[in-house]
Amino acid sequence: MSSEQDHLKETDTEKRFEFKKEESAAVTSGKGLTEEVVRMISDDKDEPEWMLERRLRSLKQYHEMPLPTDWPGQPDLTELDIEEIVPYIRPDVDKRSGADDWDDLPEDIQDTFEQLGIPEAERKALSGVGAQYESEVVYQNMQEQWEEKGVVFCNMDEAVREHPELVKEYFMTKCVPPSDNKFAALHGAVWSGGSFVYVPEDVTVEMPVQAYFRMNSEGMGQFEHTLIIAEEGSEVHYIEGCSAPKYGSHNLHSGGVEVFVGEDAHVQYSTVQNWSKNTYNLNTKRAICEKGGTMEWVSGSMGSKATMLYPSTILKGRGATDNHITIAFAGEGQDIDTGAKVYHNAPNTKSTIESKSIAKDGGRTNYRGLVHIADGAEGSSTSVECDALMFDNESTSDTMPYMEIQESKVDVAHEATVGKIGDEDVFYLQSRGLDDDDAKQMIVAGFIEPITEELPIEYAVELNRLIELEMEGSLG
Amino acid sequence: MSTQVHAALDEGTVREISESLGEPEWLLETRLEALDALDDLAMPSVIRTPGREWTNLHDLDFEGFVDPLNAAENKDQVGPDEAEVLPFAEAVDEHEELLKEHFGSVVDPQDNYLTALSTALFSTGTVVYVPEGVDAEDVKIRTEMNSQSLFNYTLVVTEKSASVTILERQSTGEDVDGERYYSGIVEVAAGENSNVQYGSLQNVDEETYNYTLKRGHADTYATIDWIEGNIGSRLTKSSVETYLKGDSSESQIVGAFFGHGDQHFDVNARVWHEAEHTTADLVTRGALDDEARSVYEGVQDVGSDAWDTNSYQRENTLMLSDESEADASPKLIINNHDTEASHSATVGQVSDEDLFYMETRGTDPESAENMLVEGFFVPVLEEVAVDELRDDLTDLVAARLRE
Amino acid sequence: MATLELNNLHAEVAEEGVDEQILDGVDLEVKSGEIHALMGPNGSGKSTTAKVIAGHPAYEVTEGEVLLHLEDGDFGGAFEIPEDKRTWDLLDLEPNERAALGVFLGFQYPAEIEGVTMTNFLRTALNAKLEEREELFEDEDEHEEEEEEAGYDTSPMEGPADEGEVGVAEFQQILSEKMEQLDMDEKFAQRYLNAGFSGGEKKQNEVLQAAILEPEVAVLDEIDSGLDIDRLQDVSKGINALRDEQGTGILQITHYQRILDYVEPDHVHVMLDGKVAKSGGAELAEKLEDNGYDWVREEFYETA
Repeated sequence: MSSEQDHLKETDTEKRFEFKKEESAAVTSGKGLTEEVVRMISDDKDEPEWMLERRLRSLKQYHEMPLPTDWPGQPDLTELDIEEIVPYIRPDVDKRSGADDWDDLPEDIQDTFEQLGIPEAERKALSGVGAQYESEVVYQNMQEQWEEKGVVFCNMDEAVREHPELVKEYFMTKCVPPSDNKFAALHGAVWSGGSFVYVPEDVTVEMPVQAYFRMNSEGMGQFEHTLIIAEEGSEVHYIEGCSAPKYGSHNLHSGGVEVFVGEDAHVQYSTVQNWSKNTYNLNTKRAICEKGGTMEWVSGSMGSKATMLYPSTILKGRGATDNHITIAFAGEGQDIDTGAKVYHNAPNTKSTIESKSIAKDGGRTNYRGLVHIADGAEGSSTSVECDALMFDNESTSDTMPYMEIQESKVDVAHEATVGKIGDEDVFYLQSRGLDDDDAKQMIVAGFIEPITEELPIEYAVELNRLIELEMEGSLG
Repeated sequence: MSTQVHAALDEGTVREISESLGEPEWLLETRLEALDALDDLAMPSVIRTPGREWTNLHDLDFEGFVDPLNAAENKDQVGPDEAEVLPFAEAVDEHEELLKEHFGSVVDPQDNYLTALSTALFSTGTVVYVPEGVDAEDVKIRTEMNSQSLFNYTLVVTEKSASVTILERQSTGEDVDGERYYSGIVEVAAGENSNVQYGSLQNVDEETYNYTLKRGHADTYATIDWIEGNIGSRLTKSSVETYLKGDSSESQIVGAFFGHGDQHFDVNARVWHEAEHTTADLVTRGALDDEARSVYEGVQDVGSDAWDTNSYQRENTLMLSDESEADASPKLIINNHDTEASHSATVGQVSDEDLFYMETRGTDPESAENMLVEGFFVPVLEEVAVDELRDDLTDLVAARLRE
Repeated sequence: MATLELNNLHAEVAEEGVDEQILDGVDLEVKSGEIHALMGPNGSGKSTTAKVIAGHPAYEVTEGEVLLHLEDGDFGGAFEIPEDKRTWDLLDLEPNERAALGVFLGFQYPAEIEGVTMTNFLRTALNAKLEEREELFEDEDEHEEEEEEAGYDTSPMEGPADEGEVGVAEFQQILSEKMEQLDMDEKFAQRYLNAGFSGGEKKQNEVLQAAILEPEVAVLDEIDSGLDIDRLQDVSKGINALRDEQGTGILQITHYQRILDYVEPDHVHVMLDGKVAKSGGAELAEKLEDNGYDWVREEFYETA
């Protein structure tokens, strides 16, 4: 880790994320959530009838379902008024469903992604990139070699048109049905953009594919849908990043992620979440993992006003494995309620969950996690480790694990610790010449090191930088 | 509240009970208010996860088993001369001021539906009062329930620098047709620098539903140590709780349970750190055989004024049968960063390796497993400072293993 | 040539409600190139003196001063130390600012910091020192402008190229040289800061850090406790090298005569009850070894 941490010293400013472009939409739905809005979105996308029907069914479910309010210690959602959110903004670009050349984009959008460093990253370390601006993917490209092997990486709207059989079968049916929770239903009604990834049998996509989601407009909602199907023996790493400039009113992000991990397949899903601190981030992410498959969730939650995110994995086939790595950092005014859910539904399944959280300046972090081992899932094991670091007395750090064990031949372990930054440690580093901030930052970097060392290097660097920004209190 | 209650559960019944104990007007009023509040109160909180409720209290059939006017019991309430150990009626008579000060001050009678029910209907109880500086060993409260239902109340008050060890046992005597209900509320007010050890051993029959709430307030430098053993009952919902209200106060909650048949234990250990330099240690171990189920919820809540807190929690469940189920949720709620807190929980079975090792030394499989289960309980039993309780628990574990 | 000067230093525990005077008027002067041994019974205030010099927040100075006198050229020929910035009252400065001026504290119980490798830490510290030094000696007026220049023009997935004054490769070079001098295994460089180090390894590591940070004055708090004879020799070699090669002034706090056989002190001081009760040459240490502290106490209180 040493060379990566070296970058900690040099900071970009928050400007990297905190810039606003003039709002220039081709089409916008206006505020609120009505049947007209849903029909208008579907119409604007020229969708087949079956997708419109699914949207309308979701809308109905959305209206019937209550907001979650009775979870112990859950983030306050009372200020979130969905009727005030603009669910759909189509940016003004020439080519629908994504240009494959950055130069084909309008200047302000191109500039946005330049500033975020996406084209450069694409050149250096990625197999493919999708970039979404407001409600639509504006850039989509993948290296030819993967296309030739049958790998599909396109935006979700295009997948509805080009791969209807797969989408019909997998889209919000068996993994995240709209009935799952109110925000999943909302998502089902107004979803737009996102990625579709299909990896054929035995294909290993060597470099990650990345999607970046940018919300630029005030008061909008982003509802991208990501569907990943990894066939037997295949392997893929999907990275998503997201950010938005800060506004006075609330933005909403309610993405939906469905991952199908085939037999002996391996999917890693990494997220660097850096929404602005006026954004509610309420996502549903779930994977179904077949025999011998491996699902890895890596989540860095740095931004947002409130996050409720519990990536879940259903270990459906014998010998399937799940790994969760979760890092949360809550600064002033932030409530990061995140964790993991794992259902062991087959024998000899394994899960590990590692969570590190940091609370500072009145922020709140909560690890909320569920491990369920079904009757008959013998030989399964799970290990959960949660560590929390607190900076000050204004902050809150909670840990709420739930374990449901219906099988006796299992190995279940959960451990959690909470502590503060030690004064002696800070003094020791100071006496060597580091100032107070650098000393604390170094301790924080060390605190999450056991996790970052498992991450791809680009991801670890990005995460460390975001943490540095958080510690300076300068971000959004 | 949808549960239908017994016809006899009305103002007349409450007045009759209160009168038989010779209670003053204010106490009767408290009971009647609790009775009145029943309709608006919820059941004690139970953990819910998507699609599952860990303990179902809504099916409790009060109509069937609450029979407050026919309460019958065998009771021993003994203690050393220096402390007062009084049946409730006597305490009403001799210590009305003490009762007035403390009754309902630790456990709000309207905390939930079941505490209100208990407050309205309790017909038996014990008050333990330990004056300043007195060291009272060996207070024993034994309750043998002989009726369909029994509502029991216990109040422990220790003055400054007093010390008391209390051993409470609940069991059932004569058989009664149908399901039964035992409800016990325990309030402990531990004065400055006093020390309360409260051991409880529940071994009622397996037709009995058991609800107990034990809660203590610890003043400055006070210590409250709880030992909670659950062996009997069909369903137990038990919560043992300490509020560390005074600086440098401490609490330990040691729990042990052993379920078999279709027993269901929902045991909770909770501590609230509300002052500086407080320490808590929560240790629970349980074994489950047959189709038994356990639910464990532990809460370490550190308030924003609780500087220099140390708080630890460990919970371990051993599953002896493939049909058993164990749910656990150890929670940390930390609002002050000057805290060292940790918790750990495990669920597992007797290790095949260990069994094999013992068998290669000539032990038959059953004895080997028994030894391992007994060994599993040792770390908890070692924490039990009351010898008699430790021996009883050890015996009960051993007996259950050899049934 | 730098001089660390303690004048009539009084200090107590900073915690509220604790009213305990630990230092009761310490006078001491350590110059570059000198080796001082500070001895005394437990609780006499030796470690507190060390911590107060470095600025430990647990102690509050109630009276007296800790001065550092510098001369032009102390930080190398290229670094100009203006006349009005040659004397510093360390008590006004943060611990890291003191470190930047060249005051080093070798801890009796070094902190263990998980997750932070030695290499990363030391290079960060070295660069931080150089940067802080610039700031301390900068004219106040010039200061404003430089700050706000950082841009967002680099990729989020790629770190910026700038690595600080001492780059990775250069630092590796420095580190391996110093480690070789101290006979330390190279694998230490990749281990976490003090985490899982044996007592002796930690002490060796403290001396290594001093060697890399090149202080003007190093205060070494019981650097010799718990060392076996081999390691004691390595550590002693390191301390002598500090003085001989870098001209560092050493204030060595110790209980034992043993290390003084390898690191010969120019001056020996004895602390009693928060004061320096007696000072002398190397022979004083031997006398203490033979006769204990009682005679110093008697002598001191008679004269006082």
